[in-house]
Amino acid sequence: MVEAFAVASGKGGTGKTTSTLALGMALAEDHDVTVVDADTGMANLLFHAGLDDAAVTLHDLLVEGEDAAVSDAVYERFGMKVVPCGTSLAAFRAADPERLRDVVADLAADTDVLLLDSPAALGSKSAVLPIVLADRTVIVLQPTVPALSDGLKVQEYARSYGTETAGTLFNRVRDGEGIDRVAEQADRYFGGETLGVIPESDAARTARTAGEPLLAHAPDAPVSQAFREAARRLDVRDGGSDDVADRFRSAVVPEEV
Amino acid sequence: MKIPRGVLLRSRVVDDPGTTLATALERRLTGYAVFEPQDAVLLGDERRGVVTFEDGVPVLAYCTDTDRGGADALEDVASPGPYSAELYELDRDALAEAHEADDLRVSPGLPAERLGVDRTLVTRTRDAAPDDRLGTDDTDAVEAFLADESQIEAIREQAREEARTRAEEWGLTDALDE
Repeated sequence: MVEAFAVASGKGGTGKTTSTLALGMALAEDHDVTVVDADTGMANLLFHAGLDDAAVTLHDLLVEGEDAAVSDAVYERFGMKVVPCGTSLAAFRAADPERLRDVVADLAADTDVLLLDSPAALGSKSAVLPIVLADRTVIVLQPTVPALSDGLKVQEYARSYGTETAGTLFNRVRDGEGIDRVAEQADRYFGGETLGVIPESDAARTARTAGEPLLAHAPDAPVSQAFREAARRLDVRDGGSDDVADRFRSAVVPEEV
Repeated sequence: MKIPRGVLLRSRVVDDPGTTLATALERRLTGYAVFEPQDAVLLGDERRGVVTFEDGVPVLAYCTDTDRGGADALEDVASPGPYSAELYELDRDALAEAHEADDLRVSPGLPAERLGVDRTLVTRTRDAAPDDRLGTDDTDAVEAFLADESQIEAIREQAREEARTRAEEWGLTDALDE
Protein backbone atom coordinates (compact mmCIF):
# COMPACT_ATOMS: atom_id res chain seq x y z
CA MET A 1 0.00 0.00 0.00
CA VAL A 2 1.52 3.29 -0.98
CA GLU A 3 0.73 6.78 -1.95
CA ALA A 4 3.39 9.22 -3.12
CA PHE A 5 3.00 12.89 -2.28
CA ALA A 6 5.11 15.68 -3.73
CA VAL A 7 5.49 18.38 -1.10
CA ALA A 8 5.77 21.42 -3.33
CA SER A 9 5.75 25.18 -3.38
CA GLY A 10 6.48 27.56 -6.21
CA LYS A 11 8.65 29.74 -4.06
CA GLY A 12 11.64 29.21 -1.79
CA GLY A 13 11.53 30.09 1.89
CA THR A 14 8.06 28.70 2.58
CA GLY A 15 9.49 26.05 4.93
CA LYS A 16 8.90 23.16 2.56
CA THR A 17 11.62 20.91 3.94
CA THR A 18 10.58 21.57 7.54
CA SER A 19 7.01 20.74 6.48
CA THR A 20 8.02 17.56 4.65
CA LEU A 21 9.85 16.16 7.67
CA ALA A 22 7.14 17.30 10.09
CA LEU A 23 4.37 15.65 8.05
CA GLY A 24 6.58 12.59 7.65
CA MET A 25 7.18 12.21 11.38
CA ALA A 26 3.51 12.75 12.17
CA LEU A 27 2.37 10.25 9.53
CA ALA A 28 4.99 7.78 10.77
CA GLU A 29 2.90 7.29 13.91
CA ASP A 30 0.43 5.27 11.81
CA HIS A 31 2.25 4.49 8.57
CA ASP A 32 5.55 3.30 7.24
CA VAL A 33 6.95 6.56 5.83
CA THR A 34 9.83 7.28 3.46
CA VAL A 35 10.97 10.85 2.92
CA VAL A 36 13.06 11.65 -0.17
CA ASP A 37 14.95 14.87 -0.87
CA ALA A 38 13.90 15.20 -4.50
CA ASP A 39 15.21 18.77 -4.67
CA THR A 40 18.38 17.48 -6.30
CA GLY A 41 19.63 20.93 -7.33
CA MET A 42 19.27 22.63 -3.94
CA ALA A 43 19.21 19.79 -1.47
CA ASN A 44 18.93 20.73 2.19
CA LEU A 45 16.97 17.94 3.84
CA LEU A 46 20.20 16.35 5.00
CA PHE A 47 20.90 19.38 7.22
CA HIS A 48 17.42 19.18 8.74
CA ALA A 49 17.78 15.49 9.50
CA GLY A 50 21.30 15.42 10.91
CA LEU A 51 22.59 13.57 7.85
CA ASP A 52 25.27 16.07 6.76
CA ASP A 53 27.85 13.31 6.71
CA ALA A 54 25.74 10.67 4.95
CA ALA A 55 28.15 8.52 2.95
CA VAL A 56 25.66 7.64 0.21
CA THR A 57 22.88 9.95 -0.98
CA LEU A 58 20.30 10.14 -3.75
CA HIS A 59 22.93 11.75 -5.98
CA ASP A 60 24.95 8.52 -5.90
CA LEU A 61 21.89 6.62 -7.10
CA LEU A 62 21.34 9.01 -10.00
CA VAL A 63 24.86 9.04 -11.39
CA GLU A 64 25.61 6.48 -14.04
CA GLY A 65 28.46 4.16 -13.20
CA GLU A 66 28.03 4.46 -9.44
CA ASP A 67 27.22 1.03 -8.07
CA ALA A 68 25.41 2.13 -4.91
CA ALA A 69 22.26 0.19 -4.07
CA VAL A 70 19.08 2.11 -3.27
CA SER A 71 19.15 0.70 0.26
CA ASP A 72 22.59 2.27 0.80
CA ALA A 73 21.01 5.75 0.61
CA VAL A 74 18.16 4.94 3.01
CA TYR A 75 18.70 6.00 6.61
CA GLU A 76 16.42 5.05 9.50
CA ARG A 77 15.91 8.29 11.38
CA PHE A 78 13.20 9.61 13.69
CA GLY A 79 10.90 6.67 12.98
CA MET A 80 11.07 7.18 9.20
CA LYS A 81 13.21 6.12 6.30
CA VAL A 82 15.08 9.16 5.04
CA VAL A 83 16.79 9.44 1.64
CA PRO A 84 18.92 12.59 1.67
CA CYS A 85 20.46 14.21 -1.37
CA GLY A 86 23.97 15.60 -1.57
CA THR A 87 24.73 19.26 -2.20
CA SER A 88 27.56 18.96 -4.72
CA LEU A 89 26.92 20.90 -7.91
CA ALA A 90 29.16 18.51 -9.83
CA ALA A 91 27.06 15.55 -8.68
CA PHE A 92 23.86 17.39 -9.64
CA ARG A 93 25.25 17.95 -13.12
CA ALA A 94 26.31 14.33 -13.42
CA ALA A 95 22.95 13.07 -12.16
CA ASP A 96 20.60 11.47 -14.66
CA PRO A 97 17.00 12.31 -13.72
CA GLU A 98 15.90 9.27 -15.74
CA ARG A 99 17.03 7.20 -12.79
CA LEU A 100 14.78 8.95 -10.29
CA ARG A 101 11.73 6.97 -11.36
CA ASP A 102 13.51 3.66 -10.72
CA VAL A 103 14.74 4.84 -7.33
CA VAL A 104 11.24 6.00 -6.43
CA ALA A 105 9.76 2.74 -7.73
CA ASP A 106 12.14 0.71 -5.55
CA LEU A 107 11.31 2.80 -2.50
CA ALA A 108 7.58 2.64 -3.23
CA ALA A 109 7.62 -1.14 -3.15
CA ASP A 110 8.63 -1.08 0.49
CA THR A 111 6.69 1.72 2.19
CA ASP A 112 3.18 3.09 2.86
CA VAL A 113 3.71 6.78 2.30
CA LEU A 114 6.34 8.42 0.14
CA LEU A 115 6.98 12.13 0.63
CA LEU A 116 9.02 13.80 -2.08
CA ASP A 117 10.50 17.12 -0.97
CA SER A 118 10.23 18.86 -4.33
CA PRO A 119 12.16 21.77 -5.85
CA ALA A 120 10.76 25.29 -5.41
CA ALA A 121 11.07 25.81 -9.14
CA LEU A 122 9.48 24.69 -12.40
CA GLY A 123 12.19 25.71 -14.81
CA SER A 124 13.80 22.37 -15.65
CA LYS A 125 12.89 18.76 -16.27
CA SER A 126 14.52 17.58 -13.07
CA ALA A 127 12.54 20.21 -11.13
CA VAL A 128 9.13 19.07 -12.39
CA LEU A 129 9.79 15.33 -12.19
CA PRO A 130 8.67 14.90 -8.57
CA ILE A 131 5.24 16.38 -9.34
CA VAL A 132 5.03 14.29 -12.52
CA LEU A 133 5.80 11.10 -10.60
CA ALA A 134 3.71 11.75 -7.47
CA ASP A 135 0.11 10.65 -7.00
CA ARG A 136 -0.87 13.92 -5.40
CA THR A 137 0.71 17.14 -4.17
CA VAL A 138 0.71 18.91 -0.86
CA ILE A 139 1.23 22.59 -1.66
CA VAL A 140 3.00 24.65 0.98
CA LEU A 141 1.83 28.26 0.92
CA GLN A 142 2.38 31.45 2.82
CA PRO A 143 -0.32 34.10 3.06
CA THR A 144 1.46 36.41 0.61
CA VAL A 145 0.59 37.30 -2.97
CA PRO A 146 3.79 35.86 -4.50
CA ALA A 147 3.53 32.59 -2.55
CA LEU A 148 -0.14 32.12 -3.51
CA SER A 149 0.51 33.08 -7.10
CA ASP A 150 3.40 30.60 -7.35
CA GLY A 151 1.36 27.96 -5.52
CA LEU A 152 -1.36 28.28 -8.17
CA LYS A 153 1.29 27.83 -10.84
CA VAL A 154 2.61 24.65 -9.24
CA GLN A 155 -0.93 23.31 -8.96
CA GLU A 156 -1.59 23.90 -12.67
CA TYR A 157 1.71 22.29 -13.68
CA ALA A 158 0.93 19.26 -11.50
CA ARG A 159 -2.61 18.98 -12.84
CA SER A 160 -1.27 19.10 -16.38
CA TYR A 161 0.43 15.81 -15.52
CA GLY A 162 -2.66 14.39 -13.83
CA THR A 163 -1.34 15.04 -10.31
CA GLU A 164 -4.17 16.44 -8.19
CA THR A 165 -3.79 18.55 -5.05
CA ALA A 166 -4.24 16.61 -1.81
CA GLY A 167 -4.35 19.78 0.25
CA THR A 168 -2.63 23.01 1.14
CA LEU A 169 -0.62 24.03 4.14
CA PHE A 170 -0.30 27.66 5.18
CA ASN A 171 3.11 27.86 6.78
CA ARG A 172 5.00 30.54 8.70
CA VAL A 173 1.82 32.48 9.40
CA ARG A 174 2.26 35.69 11.38
CA ASP A 175 -1.15 37.30 11.15
CA GLY A 176 -3.38 34.92 13.10
CA GLU A 177 -6.47 37.07 12.56
CA GLY A 178 -6.48 37.54 8.80
CA ILE A 179 -5.47 33.99 7.92
CA ASP A 180 -8.94 32.48 8.28
CA ARG A 181 -10.35 34.80 5.62
CA VAL A 182 -7.35 34.26 3.36
CA ALA A 183 -7.52 30.46 3.76
CA GLU A 184 -11.23 30.45 3.04
CA GLN A 185 -10.75 32.50 -0.13
CA ALA A 186 -7.75 30.43 -1.25
CA ASP A 187 -9.73 27.24 -0.68
CA ARG A 188 -11.86 28.12 -3.72
CA TYR A 189 -8.86 27.88 -6.02
CA PHE A 190 -6.87 25.00 -4.57
CA GLY A 191 -7.78 21.33 -4.63
CA GLY A 192 -8.16 19.27 -1.46
CA GLU A 193 -8.67 21.08 1.80
CA THR A 194 -6.61 23.46 3.87
CA LEU A 195 -4.71 20.89 5.90
CA GLY A 196 -3.39 23.32 8.42
CA VAL A 197 -2.32 26.79 9.43
CA ILE A 198 1.16 26.66 10.90
CA PRO A 199 2.36 29.65 12.94
CA GLU A 200 5.75 31.26 12.36
CA SER A 201 8.02 29.87 15.03
CA ASP A 202 11.58 30.17 16.29
CA ALA A 203 11.45 26.44 17.01
CA ALA A 204 11.68 25.66 13.28
CA ARG A 205 14.91 27.64 13.02
CA THR A 206 16.50 26.17 16.14
CA ALA A 207 15.50 22.68 14.96
CA ARG A 208 17.29 23.29 11.67
CA THR A 209 20.40 24.54 13.51
CA ALA A 210 20.30 21.46 15.73
CA GLY A 211 19.99 19.19 12.67
CA GLU A 212 16.74 17.68 13.91
CA PRO A 213 13.25 17.64 12.42
CA LEU A 214 10.93 20.06 14.21
CA LEU A 215 8.78 17.30 15.71
CA ALA A 216 11.87 15.68 17.27
CA HIS A 217 13.36 18.97 18.44
CA ALA A 218 10.26 20.59 19.94
CA PRO A 219 7.55 17.89 20.03
CA ASP A 220 5.26 19.81 22.35
CA ALA A 221 5.52 23.23 20.70
CA PRO A 222 2.26 24.60 19.24
CA VAL A 223 3.85 24.59 15.79
CA SER A 224 4.54 20.84 16.08
CA GLN A 225 0.99 20.19 17.20
CA ALA A 226 -0.27 22.16 14.20
CA PHE A 227 1.75 19.92 11.87
CA ARG A 228 0.39 16.77 13.56
CA GLU A 229 -3.14 18.08 13.10
CA ALA A 230 -2.42 18.77 9.42
CA ALA A 231 -1.08 15.23 8.95
CA ARG A 232 -4.27 13.81 10.47
CA ARG A 233 -6.32 15.68 7.84
CA LEU A 234 -4.30 14.20 5.02
CA ASP A 235 -6.23 11.15 3.85
CA VAL A 236 -3.68 8.63 2.68
CA ARG A 237 -5.23 6.46 0.01
CA ASP A 238 -4.60 2.78 -0.34
CA GLY A 239 -3.08 1.55 -3.52
CA GLY A 240 -1.20 -1.59 -4.46
CA SER A 241 2.53 -1.02 -4.13
CA ASP A 242 3.14 -3.15 -7.21
CA ASP A 243 0.87 -0.88 -9.21
CA VAL A 244 2.71 2.17 -7.99
CA ALA A 245 6.11 0.71 -8.72
CA ASP A 246 4.99 -0.20 -12.24
CA ARG A 247 3.56 3.24 -12.78
CA PHE A 248 6.82 4.90 -11.79
CA ARG A 249 8.79 2.60 -14.03
CA SER A 250 6.56 3.30 -16.99
CA ALA A 251 6.40 7.04 -16.41
CA VAL A 252 7.78 8.99 -19.29
CA VAL A 253 10.98 10.57 -18.10
CA PRO A 254 13.31 12.86 -20.02
CA GLU A 255 16.49 11.55 -21.50
CA GLU A 256 18.59 14.52 -20.52
CA VAL A 257 18.47 17.39 -18.05
CA MET B 1 2.92 64.73 1.23
CA LYS B 2 5.67 66.87 -0.25
CA ILE B 3 7.67 65.86 -3.29
CA PRO B 4 10.08 68.19 -5.09
CA ARG B 5 9.18 68.85 -8.70
CA GLY B 6 10.85 66.45 -11.11
CA VAL B 7 11.71 66.58 -14.78
CA LEU B 8 8.60 66.15 -16.94
CA LEU B 9 9.06 63.20 -19.30
CA ARG B 10 5.62 63.05 -20.88
CA SER B 11 2.18 64.50 -20.52
CA ARG B 12 -0.82 63.07 -22.29
CA VAL B 13 -4.42 62.06 -22.00
CA VAL B 14 -4.89 58.32 -21.53
CA ASP B 15 -7.93 56.06 -21.25
CA ASP B 16 -5.97 53.53 -19.22
CA PRO B 17 -3.59 54.71 -16.46
CA GLY B 18 -1.98 51.28 -16.84
CA THR B 19 -0.20 52.55 -19.97
CA THR B 20 1.56 55.19 -17.86
CA LEU B 21 2.44 52.64 -15.18
CA ALA B 22 3.75 50.35 -17.92
CA THR B 23 5.94 53.13 -19.31
CA ALA B 24 7.40 53.76 -15.85
CA LEU B 25 8.07 50.05 -15.48
CA GLU B 26 9.69 49.71 -18.91
CA ARG B 27 11.93 52.70 -18.27
CA ARG B 28 12.70 51.46 -14.73
CA LEU B 29 11.79 55.01 -13.80
CA THR B 30 12.56 56.54 -10.43
CA GLY B 31 10.16 59.42 -10.05
CA TYR B 32 6.40 59.82 -9.98
CA ALA B 33 3.22 59.96 -12.03
CA VAL B 34 0.33 62.37 -11.57
CA PHE B 35 -3.11 61.20 -12.67
CA GLU B 36 -5.98 63.62 -12.97
CA PRO B 37 -9.35 62.12 -13.91
CA GLN B 38 -11.03 64.21 -16.62
CA ASP B 39 -14.31 64.17 -14.73
CA ALA B 40 -12.46 65.98 -11.93
CA VAL B 41 -11.30 68.61 -14.41
CA LEU B 42 -14.85 69.08 -15.65
CA LEU B 43 -16.17 69.35 -12.13
CA GLY B 44 -13.44 71.81 -11.26
CA ASP B 45 -12.10 69.85 -8.30
CA GLU B 46 -8.48 69.28 -7.49
CA ARG B 47 -8.53 65.50 -7.40
CA ARG B 48 -5.13 64.24 -8.43
CA GLY B 49 -3.47 60.94 -7.70
CA VAL B 50 0.27 60.65 -7.29
CA VAL B 51 2.08 57.33 -7.60
CA THR B 52 5.83 57.26 -6.93
CA PHE B 53 8.28 54.74 -8.37
CA GLU B 54 11.64 53.29 -7.59
CA ASP B 55 13.18 51.58 -10.61
CA GLY B 56 9.74 51.42 -12.22
CA VAL B 57 8.03 49.76 -9.24
CA PRO B 58 5.30 51.74 -7.44
CA VAL B 59 6.16 52.66 -3.84
CA LEU B 60 3.38 54.92 -2.60
CA ALA B 61 0.09 56.43 -3.67
CA TYR B 62 -1.50 59.67 -2.53
CA CYS B 63 -4.66 61.60 -3.42
CA THR B 64 -4.29 65.37 -3.17
CA ASP B 65 -7.97 66.13 -2.75
CA THR B 66 -8.89 63.61 -0.08
CA ASP B 67 -5.44 63.59 1.59
CA ARG B 68 -5.64 59.82 1.74
CA GLY B 69 -2.79 57.41 0.95
CA GLY B 70 -2.14 53.82 -0.09
CA ALA B 71 -5.04 51.70 -1.39
CA ASP B 72 -7.52 54.42 -0.30
CA ALA B 73 -5.83 56.96 -2.57
CA LEU B 74 -6.13 54.61 -5.54
CA GLU B 75 -9.80 54.16 -4.78
CA ASP B 76 -10.27 57.95 -4.68
CA VAL B 77 -8.57 58.45 -8.01
CA ALA B 78 -10.17 55.53 -9.88
CA SER B 79 -12.67 56.82 -12.43
CA PRO B 80 -14.05 55.73 -15.79
CA GLY B 81 -11.40 57.95 -17.40
CA PRO B 82 -9.94 59.38 -19.47
CA TYR B 83 -7.11 60.75 -17.36
CA SER B 84 -4.58 63.45 -17.83
CA ALA B 85 -1.34 61.64 -17.00
CA GLU B 86 2.10 63.15 -16.40
CA LEU B 87 5.28 61.27 -15.78
CA TYR B 88 8.21 62.86 -13.96
CA GLU B 89 11.73 61.71 -13.30
CA LEU B 90 13.15 62.52 -9.90
CA ASP B 91 16.28 61.66 -7.99
CA ARG B 92 15.97 58.78 -5.51
CA ASP B 93 17.28 60.99 -2.69
CA ALA B 94 14.59 63.57 -3.37
CA LEU B 95 11.94 60.87 -2.87
CA ALA B 96 13.53 59.36 0.23
CA GLU B 97 11.70 61.52 2.74
CA ALA B 98 8.27 60.90 1.20
CA HIS B 99 8.99 57.19 1.00
CA GLU B 100 9.37 57.02 4.75
CA ALA B 101 5.60 57.51 5.13
CA ASP B 102 4.45 53.94 5.74
CA ASP B 103 0.76 54.82 5.65
CA LEU B 104 1.02 55.90 2.02
CA ARG B 105 2.77 52.77 0.77
CA VAL B 106 1.22 50.34 -1.68
CA SER B 107 2.19 46.80 -2.63
CA PRO B 108 4.05 46.86 -5.99
CA GLY B 109 1.20 45.48 -8.11
CA LEU B 110 -1.67 47.35 -6.47
CA PRO B 111 -1.76 50.51 -8.66
CA ALA B 112 -1.82 48.32 -11.80
CA GLU B 113 -4.50 46.14 -10.23
CA ARG B 114 -6.75 49.04 -9.23
CA LEU B 115 -6.16 51.47 -12.09
CA GLY B 116 -4.96 49.42 -15.05
CA VAL B 117 -6.80 47.33 -17.60
CA ASP B 118 -3.99 44.94 -18.52
CA ARG B 119 -3.83 42.16 -15.92
CA THR B 120 -0.38 41.02 -16.99
CA LEU B 121 0.99 44.39 -15.87
CA VAL B 122 0.30 43.34 -12.25
CA THR B 123 2.41 40.23 -12.71
CA ARG B 124 5.13 42.04 -14.63
CA THR B 125 5.36 44.69 -11.93
CA ARG B 126 5.60 42.12 -9.17
CA ASP B 127 8.26 40.24 -11.12
CA ALA B 128 10.33 43.43 -11.29
CA ALA B 129 9.90 44.25 -7.60
CA PRO B 130 12.71 43.48 -5.16
CA ASP B 131 12.01 40.60 -2.77
CA ASP B 132 11.83 42.83 0.29
CA ARG B 133 8.81 44.55 -1.27
CA LEU B 134 6.92 41.28 -1.74
CA GLY B 135 7.40 39.12 1.31
CA THR B 136 5.24 40.79 3.95
CA ASP B 137 1.97 39.47 5.26
CA ASP B 138 -0.21 42.20 3.86
CA THR B 139 -3.61 40.66 4.45
CA ASP B 140 -5.49 43.39 2.59
CA ALA B 141 -3.41 42.93 -0.53
CA VAL B 142 -3.72 39.13 -0.29
CA GLU B 143 -7.48 39.32 0.05
CA ALA B 144 -7.72 41.74 -2.88
CA PHE B 145 -5.60 39.34 -4.93
CA LEU B 146 -7.77 36.34 -4.09
CA ALA B 147 -11.00 38.25 -4.66
CA ASP B 148 -10.05 38.96 -8.27
CA GLU B 149 -11.22 35.79 -9.98
CA SER B 150 -10.31 36.95 -13.47
CA GLN B 151 -6.73 37.58 -12.42
CA ILE B 152 -6.48 34.17 -10.73
CA GLU B 153 -7.86 32.52 -13.84
CA ALA B 154 -5.31 34.42 -15.96
CA ILE B 155 -2.47 33.09 -13.79
CA ARG B 156 -3.80 29.55 -14.05
CA GLU B 157 -4.35 29.75 -17.79
CA GLN B 158 -0.83 31.09 -18.31
CA ALA B 159 0.61 28.30 -16.13
CA ARG B 160 -1.32 25.63 -18.07
CA GLU B 161 -0.01 26.94 -21.38
CA GLU B 162 3.51 27.20 -20.01
CA ALA B 163 3.34 23.66 -18.62
CA ARG B 164 2.33 22.29 -22.01
CA THR B 165 4.93 24.26 -23.94
CA ARG B 166 7.67 23.15 -21.60
CA ALA B 167 6.45 19.55 -21.63
CA GLU B 168 7.10 19.60 -25.36
CA GLU B 169 10.57 21.10 -24.86
CA TRP B 170 11.38 18.45 -22.28
CA GLY B 171 9.89 15.50 -24.12
CA LEU B 172 7.30 14.99 -21.42
CA THR B 173 4.17 15.26 -23.56
CA ASP B 174 3.34 11.59 -23.10
CA ALA B 175 3.09 12.16 -19.37
CA LEU B 176 0.54 14.97 -19.82
CA ASP B 177 -2.95 14.24 -18.66
CA GLU B 178 -5.13 14.75 -21.70
